[in-house]
Amino acid sequence: MPRTDKMKNALDGIVNLMDGLLQWLDDRLEARRARTRREGLLAVLLLAPAMTLMGVFGFAPLLAGFYMSLFGGPLGENQFAGWGNYIRAFNDPEFWNSLKVTVYYVLGTIPASLVGSFLVAYGLHRILRGRGLLRTLYFLPYVTSAVAAAMVWRALFMTPDGVANLVLELLGLESQRWILEGKGILHLISGGWIPQDIGPSLALGCVMLFDIWHGSGFMIVVFLAGLTAIPRELEEAARIDGAGALRVVRHVVLPLLSPTILFLAVVSTIKAFQAFNSFYALTQQPDQPLFEPTTNVVLYIYGQLYRWNDYGYGAAISMLFMVAIILVTTLQWRFVGRRVHYS
Amino acid sequence: MRKVLCAAILCGSGMFLGCGAPREGFQPVDKDSVVFWDRQVTESAEFLKQIVDEFNAAHKEAIPIKVERAGGYDDIFRKVTASIRARVLPGMAVSYENMTAQYIPTGAVAQLDGLVTDPDLGFSKEQLDDFFPAVLDTNRYTDFNGKMYSFPYTKSVLMMYFNKAVLAQAGISAPPATWDEFLDQCRVVKAKLGKFAYAVNPDCSTLDGMIFSLGGEVIRNGIPLYDTPESIRAFEIYESLAKEKLAYQIAGGYDDQIAFGKNEVAFIFRTSSGRPHVTMLMQDRMDQWGMTRIPQADPGRPATVLFGGNICIFNNSPEQIRAAWAFIKYFTAPEIMVRWALGTGYLPFRKSAAEHPDMKRFWGEWDYNRAAFDCLSFARPEPNLAGWQRVREYAAGALRKVLEGSLTGRAAALELQQQAAAILKQ
Repeated sequence: MPRTDKMKNALDGIVNLMDGLLQWLDDRLEARRARTRREGLLAVLLLAPAMTLMGVFGFAPLLAGFYMSLFGGPLGENQFAGWGNYIRAFNDPEFWNSLKVTVYYVLGTIPASLVGSFLVAYGLHRILRGRGLLRTLYFLPYVTSAVAAAMVWRALFMTPDGVANLVLELLGLESQRWILEGKGILHLISGGWIPQDIGPSLALGCVMLFDIWHGSGFMIVVFLAGLTAIPRELEEAARIDGAGALRVVRHVVLPLLSPTILFLAVVSTIKAFQAFNSFYALTQQPDQPLFEPTTNVVLYIYGQLYRWNDYGYGAAISMLFMVAIILVTTLQWRFVGRRVHYS
Repeated sequence: MRKVLCAAILCGSGMFLGCGAPREGFQPVDKDSVVFWDRQVTESAEFLKQIVDEFNAAHKEAIPIKVERAGGYDDIFRKVTASIRARVLPGMAVSYENMTAQYIPTGAVAQLDGLVTDPDLGFSKEQLDDFFPAVLDTNRYTDFNGKMYSFPYTKSVLMMYFNKAVLAQAGISAPPATWDEFLDQCRVVKAKLGKFAYAVNPDCSTLDGMIFSLGGEVIRNGIPLYDTPESIRAFEIYESLAKEKLAYQIAGGYDDQIAFGKNEVAFIFRTSSGRPHVTMLMQDRMDQWGMTRIPQADPGRPATVLFGGNICIFNNSPEQIRAAWAFIKYFTAPEIMVRWALGTGYLPFRKSAAEHPDMKRFWGEWDYNRAAFDCLSFARPEPNLAGWQRVREYAAGALRKVLEGSLTGRAAALELQQQAAAILKQ
C-alpha cells in the first residue's frame, strides 16, 4: 500500500473516531438539554402559584406604588411630579420626626427584647419543673390580639387615675400623663435638665414597653428551640474543664445560638420598622389627629394616604422606607452575619 | 426562565397600573338603588332607615334609596377617595365640609345650586329663608366660586355641659357666663373639692368655638388668624387650666363624658348632639346637670361653633342625582326634620321648627332642651377649605402641647399660625 494511502486511512480513522466522539457528545448533550427543558418546565409549573401570588400581591403593587409616587395633586393622579415627592420627603421635618420615632422605637425594643427573652428562655431551659406551664404563660401575650391587649394597657396608663398613676401615688411620686405625654423620658427623669425633645417621649416609652411584653413570647419560644438543639455534652465538657456558668453561656451557648440570634434580630428589626398596631391602638384615636410623639414612619404613611389624601407623597415615603429597611437588613447580614457560627 | 418571569411580572404590573389610570365618568355602585353611605348607629340608624323606607314608599316611581353604614367619618372619607380612584361611587355620602372640598376637584361631586333653586325640584325663596343662614353658607365653597356642593344633614353646636352637683358642692349656684368666670369657677372647684374642674378633649372645633366666643375669627380671605389676640387668649386659657391643674386631657373616646357622669368634673365642652349620651350617663339625675352656651367674652354678642355633617351627591348618573336630591329635600322638610331631631338629638336647622308642637313639647320637658337650638342663630361654621383637615390636626396638636406644658399658650398659637399658613399656601 502506498504511503499516501496509509496516511489517508489513518486520517480517516481519526476523523471517524472524532466524528463518533462528537456524535456521542452531541447525543449526551441533547439528552441533557431535553432533561433541562423538562426540569425547567417543571420548575416553572411548581413556582407558578407562588410567583403568581407574589406578582399580584407583591411586585405589581410595588411597581404601582412607585408609579403612584411620581404623581401629585388631588388623589395623586393628576399632576406628574417626577422625583418631586422624593425631594419633598428629604425637606419634610415631619417625615424626619417620624423616622426619629421609628429609630428610637427599634433601638429601644429590639436589644431589650433579645436580651430579656434570652434570659427567660435560658432560665426555662435550665429548670425542670413547671417548664411547660411557664412557657405557656410567657407565650400567652404573643397570641393575644395586640389591639385587645393595648386596650387593657390604655386603661393601665389612663390619666389621671389609671393603675400606673395609682402606683406612683402610693409611692409618693407625682402622677404622669403616660400615653399622652409628648415630653422626653430623659427630660422627665432629669427634672427638666435635659431638653424635652431629646430621646423618646414617655408615650413612645409606653409603646416600647407594651411591645417588649407582647413580642417576647415568640422570641422565647425560638430561643428555647435553639437552646434545645445545643448538645448537652459541649456544656458538660466545658464545665469539666472548669468553666463557670457565665463562661459556659458566653463561650459555648451564645456562639452556638448565634444563628438563632441573627434570625431573631433580622426578623424582629423588620417587624419593628413596620410596627403599626401597637402605636395606633395604644396612642392614637380614630377621627382624631395623629399624635406626633408616637407617629412612626408607617403611621405617617398611613396619614398621607388615608387622612390627608396625598397619595403620591405617601407612596414616595413608602418607597424610601422600603429601601431603608433593605439597607438595614443587608447591613445586619453583613456585619452580624460574620460573627455567626453554624457548627 | 428569567425572560418568562420578567414578562409575567411586567404583564401583571401593566394590568395593575392600568387599573389605576384615570378614566372618564363615574359609575354608580348600584344601578338599581341610590346608595347612601352614612355613619349613624343604633337607634339613629334605625330611625334613618325608617325615614328612608317612608320616602321609598311615597316615591315608587323613583330609584329607591338604600342606606349603608360605612363606618365613621374617617372610614367614609377613605371609602369615597378609593371609590373616586376606581370611578365607581355611591349616590350620596355624609361628609364634612373639608372632606367635600377634597372630592370637588376630581369632578366627583354634583353641584347643587341648580337643583336648590330649580322651580320644580328645588326650594322657593321663602323656604330657603327658613334655613338658618350658617347651615347653608357652610356648604358654599369659597375655593370653588362659592358654589354649593353639599347640603346640611346632621347639625349641632358646641355647648358647655355643667355638673350642678359638683358645682353645688363647691358652693357655685350658676354656670359661668364669661371665660373669666369659667376660670374662677374652675379654681373654686379645685380649691374646695380637690378635683379637676374640666376634662379636656383637645379638638380644633372647640378651640375655634372659643376663639369665636372671644370675638375672634380663624380665617379671613384665606389667611389663618391664629395669631390674633383672641386666638392667643384662647390658648392662654388652656395654659392657665394646665398650669394650675384645673383641667386634664382625656386619653380619647368619650372619657370626658364618663367622668362627667361620675361627678368627677364640673365641666365638659361637647357638641349638642352628645346630649342623649350624657342623659344616659346621668340616668335619673336630670336635675343635677345642665347644658348652656359656652362662656363668652361679651355675653351680649355671643358666638359658638357650628358642628355636624352634610350630604354630598356624587356625579354618577343624572337619574341617581335627581333621586338623591329628592330624598334630601324630603329629609329637610320641617316635619321630617323635627322627627329626626327628636329621635336623634341633632338640631332642627329650619326656623319654622320652633313653632312645631312636638318641638315645643320637647323643650318644655327639661330646662335645657332648647339651649342648643337657641345657639343656632349665632353659631358660625368653620372654614370649608381643602387643607383644613390638616390645620385641624395641627390645632389639636398645639392644644396638646399647651396641656402637657411643652409650649406656652402664645408660642402654641404662633406655631399653629405658621403651620396653618404653610398648609393653606400649598
